[in-house]
Amino acid sequence: MTIRNTLQDHGQRYRPRMASLKKSEKVLLEMQDPKTGLKSQPQRLVITTIPHAITGEDIIAWLADRFQVNTQEARSFGSMLVAFGYIYPLQDHKRLVIKPDASLYRFQTPYFWPTQLLPVEDTDYAIYLAKRNIRKKGILEMHEQEHYNRLHKWMNHKWDFIVMQAKEQYRAAKERKKPDRVVFDCQERAYWVVHRPPPGTVSAMDYGLDRQIDPNSDEAATPDFYERIMIFTQQSIMRPRVKSSVSIGALVKYCATYNNHDPFLSNCLPSNPWITDDVTFWTLNMPCVEIPTKMRVERWTFSFAELLSDTRGRDDFRLFLKKEFSGENLAFWEACEDLKWGKAASIKEKAEHIYKTFLARGAPRWINIDGKTMEVTVKGLKHPHRYVLDPAQTHIYMLMKKDSYGRYQKSPVFKDTVKKAICPDEHRFSGLQLEQNYKKRRPSLSPIILRQMEQEQRAKMAANIDITQLCRFTTPVPHLAVYSGFTDYPTATASPSLTFLAHTPACPSPISVGLDSTSVSERRVEEAEGDGNPAARAPVGGNVSRSRMALSLRRLLKGGCTPATMFASLSPKCHSAAGTSSRIQPIGPDQPSQAPPRRIGNFFQIKVDIPPECRIYPIESEDEEEESRAAFQGGVGAKEIICPWESLTTHNGTG
Amino acid sequence: MSSRWRRSVGELALRGRQRGECERAQEALGRVTSCFQQLAVSLGSSADGSFLRDEMDETRHLAQRICRGLSRRLLRLLSDCGPAPSGVEDRQVSDCGPAPSGVEDRQVSERLWVLFLSALEHFLSDLRQAHDLIGRFPLRQRNDRRSLVNTGCMDGVVAVAARVASVQAPWLTMEEEQSPDLTNHIAELEAMLSEMQLRVPVAFWSVEATQLAGAERGGLEDLQEGEDSLEELMEGEGGSRRPAFCCLTCG
Repeated sequence: MTIRNTLQDHGQRYRPRMASLKKSEKVLLEMQDPKTGLKSQPQRLVITTIPHAITGEDIIAWLADRFQVNTQEARSFGSMLVAFGYIYPLQDHKRLVIKPDASLYRFQTPYFWPTQLLPVEDTDYAIYLAKRNIRKKGILEMHEQEHYNRLHKWMNHKWDFIVMQAKEQYRAAKERKKPDRVVFDCQERAYWVVHRPPPGTVSAMDYGLDRQIDPNSDEAATPDFYERIMIFTQQSIMRPRVKSSVSIGALVKYCATYNNHDPFLSNCLPSNPWITDDVTFWTLNMPCVEIPTKMRVERWTFSFAELLSDTRGRDDFRLFLKKEFSGENLAFWEACEDLKWGKAASIKEKAEHIYKTFLARGAPRWINIDGKTMEVTVKGLKHPHRYVLDPAQTHIYMLMKKDSYGRYQKSPVFKDTVKKAICPDEHRFSGLQLEQNYKKRRPSLSPIILRQMEQEQRAKMAANIDITQLCRFTTPVPHLAVYSGFTDYPTATASPSLTFLAHTPACPSPISVGLDSTSVSERRVEEAEGDGNPAARAPVGGNVSRSRMALSLRRLLKGGCTPATMFASLSPKCHSAAGTSSRIQPIGPDQPSQAPPRRIGNFFQIKVDIPPECRIYPIESEDEEEESRAAFQGGVGAKEIICPWESLTTHNGTG
Repeated sequence: MSSRWRRSVGELALRGRQRGECERAQEALGRVTSCFQQLAVSLGSSADGSFLRDEMDETRHLAQRICRGLSRRLLRLLSDCGPAPSGVEDRQVSDCGPAPSGVEDRQVSERLWVLFLSALEHFLSDLRQAHDLIGRFPLRQRNDRRSLVNTGCMDGVVAVAARVASVQAPWLTMEEEQSPDLTNHIAELEAMLSEMQLRVPVAFWSVEATQLAGAERGGLEDLQEGEDSLEELMEGEGGSRRPAFCCLTCG
């Protein structure tokens, strides 16, 4: 019982037009014509004979003739009529298809035709099931039993009515002659097979979502109605147009690319869970699986967006970038995504952190974006909003796409993944196994649990900062935070406790491979000594020398460094420098003649030291002076990375 | 005060009688509506005809009379008793106080109410369907018969009509009112439904079924002779089925 009649329901309750229904009905009525319609024959049963049975092949032949189509199409059309319930099979009543042989069918009475006028009521279904129960030899099937129990629970208040009505209907039906009774029972049964399909089948009346307005009603010609038409027409005029050849070409290309990957259009290995009720496919393709499937890996080669959107692909890409020491691009991109999609309250905080980690001068994971973008971004960061980092993010994305992506696909990391990817065998289930699969279905993990697992994983990854990514500086710089690339954002405080520098500096000049930058950073360290965290510096030393070796070799291979300089970096002098933890490095004799480190357009390495003559950033004059002072002196004053907009208040800066 | 008690005893007896009346009427309504459904199933099929439609009209009128009477009596029954002692915010002044039997009284009345409204809704949907079908298969001219669907039904609704005629309801002889046509009938029933729902606040979810699930199984003693299941009936043809062309000659 509902209160449908009394309240105006403004929800979405109108069913989309199924135009096929009206058209099918016309065809069906044509079939009835005694001269031009279908020829019927009687159906012989043990007890009686019932007229008006038609064979499948007759139906197909008639349709093919009437619409001048080939047999295959007539057959699909016929199957559609059966699926809707306009014609029902007399044998094998649960399979709603047309068989092109002598199997018998019969027309459904118009009372049981599918209609969108009235929704199919559960009450009627309950009455039908109760009637089935009443028959002495009637046994409900499993899904029917499930429905029955459910309806008994939910319609408990009208259950007495249902049982009473079932009995009355049963008695009323008994009043008819035997053949008509049989026909009526068949009709009713066929109706419910269409509208409450057995498991493993789909009802053809499944039309999708309801609509908000009734498509069959006429709309009043009010001024508002015309206004809407006007707006719609104006907008369609203004819309930019794409040549159909272009758009169709894009569609064709998409279809050709993704055809084999669509689980419904082509065979998905091992089997489509929606069809066979076996979830191996989903287990094999989980986001954090160790070994991906071959199809999944192939998808990563389609486009960069595919690679990034797949979690496993992104992990692989991250691994590759890590090996190339250029993970900051991806980390920045992920940070921007996090900003865009995160909570509004955390935007300011996150934006600051991102600036400090990636964008500021001397940031630990500095990314290389062009000057104009940087200017725009930093200006926007004064009043941060969700999309403030969009230009920068786009720039980095295109960078990764054009450069790293190509290299990734040729890299050993990727090739290794491809080699290890698995290709599961196809399942071949028998009918019995399919039934068992259906019975063994279990709901998947709750989304709450999945989210918790995700967060745990992120926390684990965040805690697992990679020490091989350490820069070869002698000491970690305590005030410089590392953005590990995973969200759940550690609180960004003014002096974060994370200690490691993620990347090595560039190889600027051939003069002194490590010396200058080392000294610069050491100067920095020394500057920061006041607020540094001494405890954190200790563990770095041992690893650094090793990495320095590796890095020096790499630098040699990259070119531009003479052997002399390389050896210079390995000289005892440097080693001693490396060994000390917080001491002032005596400035070498070649120091003054050194050119300030040039910024080289190198995507893989972070520039820690920005030459003071670059005036791209709205750097306060005071900072600049300090910087240049530091270059020639021991350097004084703690230099934390502060966001330019923050220092506005204290320095009366350029703003 | 004492008169109240005396009155309530008499009232209870009266209400009990009225309830009994309503229950019988409910059963009658069930019979009539199920017969109506049996008739409506043949609409638009080869068994359709003016006889069928006349019978449907008769059945409809009968149902309408029962509905009218039942709704009036139920309204009276439930508004007299006043709101249930439990679960209603404002305790109105009611004729009967919350006597212990009053609560059960109320529950039974509510059950009847819910059953009637469900029956009414069910009947309404059947009526709408019939209305639609009659609109689609008007049968006004001879040619229209050609488009009737060959469903395998002959007629045989005579017995159904007889069953309808045998229905008795307590007040049928008394009230002779106008019989509206189908559209008006539907409108009237809809109005009745909404009026009833608005007039008396009955929490229909508080009504519980008197039978357990499956209690009706194997069930009706009067009907069980010679019962075959549909599957058995249909299977039977497998043994005696002859090839198609043969059937055509002897069909």
